[in-house]
Amino acid sequence: MTGAVRDATVAVRDVTVAVRVEGLTRRFGRRWALRGVDLDIDSGASVALLGSNGTGKTTLLRVLSTLLRPTAGRVEVLGQVLPGGAGGAHGASSTDAVRRRSTLMTPHGHAYEELTGLENLRFAARMSGPAVESSRLLKTLDDVGLEDAAHTAVRAYSTGMRKRLELARLSLRTLELVLLDEPFASLDDEGVSLVQAAIGRWRDGGATVVVASHRTRAATERADRVVRLEHGRVASDEPS
Amino acid sequence: MQKILGLLSIVSVAAGTAIGLFVVRADALQGEVQRLLYVHVPTAWIAMLSFFVVFLMSTLYLVQRKLKWDLVAAASVEIGVLCTALTLILGWLWGRATWGAGGGWTWDPRVTTTAVLLLVYVGYLVVRSMSEDPEQRARWSAVIGVIAFVQVPIVYLSVFWWRSLHQPPSSPRSMASGIGLTMMLNFAAYTIAFTYLLIRRYKLAQQELALELAGPEAEL
Amino acid sequence: MSELFRRSSAILWKDLLTETRTRQGFTAMLSFSALVLLLFSFAFGPDAALLARLSGGLVWVAIVFTGTLSLGRAFQSEELAGGAQLLRLYPGDVRALYLGKLAGNFLLLAALETLLFPAAAILFGAEFGPHAPGLAFVALLGTLGFSVIGTFFAALTVHLRARELLLPILLFPALVPVVLGSVGATDAMLAGDPLGRASGWLRLLAAYDVIMFVVCVWIFPIVLEE
Repeated sequence: MTGAVRDATVAVRDVTVAVRVEGLTRRFGRRWALRGVDLDIDSGASVALLGSNGTGKTTLLRVLSTLLRPTAGRVEVLGQVLPGGAGGAHGASSTDAVRRRSTLMTPHGHAYEELTGLENLRFAARMSGPAVESSRLLKTLDDVGLEDAAHTAVRAYSTGMRKRLELARLSLRTLELVLLDEPFASLDDEGVSLVQAAIGRWRDGGATVVVASHRTRAATERADRVVRLEHGRVASDEPS
Repeated sequence: MQKILGLLSIVSVAAGTAIGLFVVRADALQGEVQRLLYVHVPTAWIAMLSFFVVFLMSTLYLVQRKLKWDLVAAASVEIGVLCTALTLILGWLWGRATWGAGGGWTWDPRVTTTAVLLLVYVGYLVVRSMSEDPEQRARWSAVIGVIAFVQVPIVYLSVFWWRSLHQPPSSPRSMASGIGLTMMLNFAAYTIAFTYLLIRRYKLAQQELALELAGPEAEL
Repeated sequence: MSELFRRSSAILWKDLLTETRTRQGFTAMLSFSALVLLLFSFAFGPDAALLARLSGGLVWVAIVFTGTLSLGRAFQSEELAGGAQLLRLYPGDVRALYLGKLAGNFLLLAALETLLFPAAAILFGAEFGPHAPGLAFVALLGTLGFSVIGTFFAALTVHLRARELLLPILLFPALVPVVLGSVGATDAMLAGDPLGRASGWLRLLAAYDVIMFVVCVWIFPIVLEE
């Protein structure tokens, strides 16, 4: 989508923009993780967020996912203005609306070591919606190639298997915005292509995908835009 | 304005203390020891007042998320903790003389709850010292400030049921008029001093925060 | 409401499943509380009459100590799984986390007490047996109060340095009414309640439980913010 078209629709309610960030700063004590980020992401876009460690990629994703409040600035995600900064002190309903349609995948994922893959998936399903039958959960595990490990405790999973479980967990929900933080970290080639295939599926489904990574090639392969962060600011922003 | 308030607190506290010590006649029953109450009771009042201020400021912070409310709350906690400790010491001295309770701890409900109160807000201060992020520190503090204010009256009630040998709270009306007037004067004086201290401590806290956040920009 | 219940019970189910699988927590709690009781009998014994008179207080102190140790674990298991923060990414009220953890802490402590009270009865020669139904009610209210406040402060301190120390510093003052109420009611019942004091203590316990529950549920989302 071009800038002109976007400007024309902005007067009405702009549903074509998934993320709109203006002057976002975030401070942790005296350390500024974000120092004024301006960023618009169109609906359905796939963005690679690059930058070396400590440039604010994770902080930006955590703000967009509603986990972190901005110190200042305005953050609009999926049409909802998030609380904090210019968004006011409160906004339980807006954060909840965003959480229903988006999620964040952290580098280490979210899994309970003592539970099996299937149990972890069942927990995730119960947390996000009405009960899901075991057969469907098993099918989801099949899709990521974990059919043999469904009844094994996650404790015994390899890094690659954990990532597969994480992808299965995310695929339980219909997502409009997927935020992936270092999804390729410590994965072998097969793991990388597995994550990329998942990104492709989300894109085909019309979801907006933001991938934060310091592995430039893996991250940009499926991206149509590359945003580079430096010292908590957008250093460059160009089409892939 | 601040200077006037400071001057006023010194003068009024000094006057209240002088009148309490030298002008008013000692209580017929308790003797000279009773003069301790001119410090003890207003100090206890300031402790209560400051914790109420903490509750108000904590609630305000949670609603508006403005750091200044957190700074006022923290300033108030410090004054409150100081006054609570003073109240305990003065009360112990007074109780020793009047109740003949000896040098040990009296398991009187008011003494016990005051000690618990002290511990609650010392916990508040300890938690504050644990975070370097002003927003996080403010959030934790505000939560404790609110919770503490809810639990304290019930703690008071429960300890009162548990054991009671304290005389009913002395109100100015139950005392001879000279004593009552002096007490009122001291209440007013201590409240002025509290306001002055609170403002000064708040301004200091503002500078501390500015210093804390002004860290070298090089520290990314 | 039903959504909140579904999500709370999901967390409870997950925690209980982990607990039954490892049994570390419960076994450690059990041996710890047994040790506390033994230490008491060394410290106050061998005067059997004195121990029997103190038994109500001693049992509740053992429960508070053991409970405090197990509280910290409830949220640390989340940290191992990637952080309690990640539970906030699921849509819906984050209070589900508080309610689920509260139920888990309550059940774990209640299970412990079913063993602790008989053990204390034997060790201290206390007459718990004949008053079992009344004592069970006291234990219910006392354990509920402990879990309501304890779960809240455990969530508050999980990200603090020196949380093992800070949790009791914040928790114990808040527990004063719970301990006084539980011990008061227990002692009154053991003495046959000649002065009818037990019901007063139970009313205090119930009132404190309700008030603290309401306040904790109300503030909890702020505790979990980042």
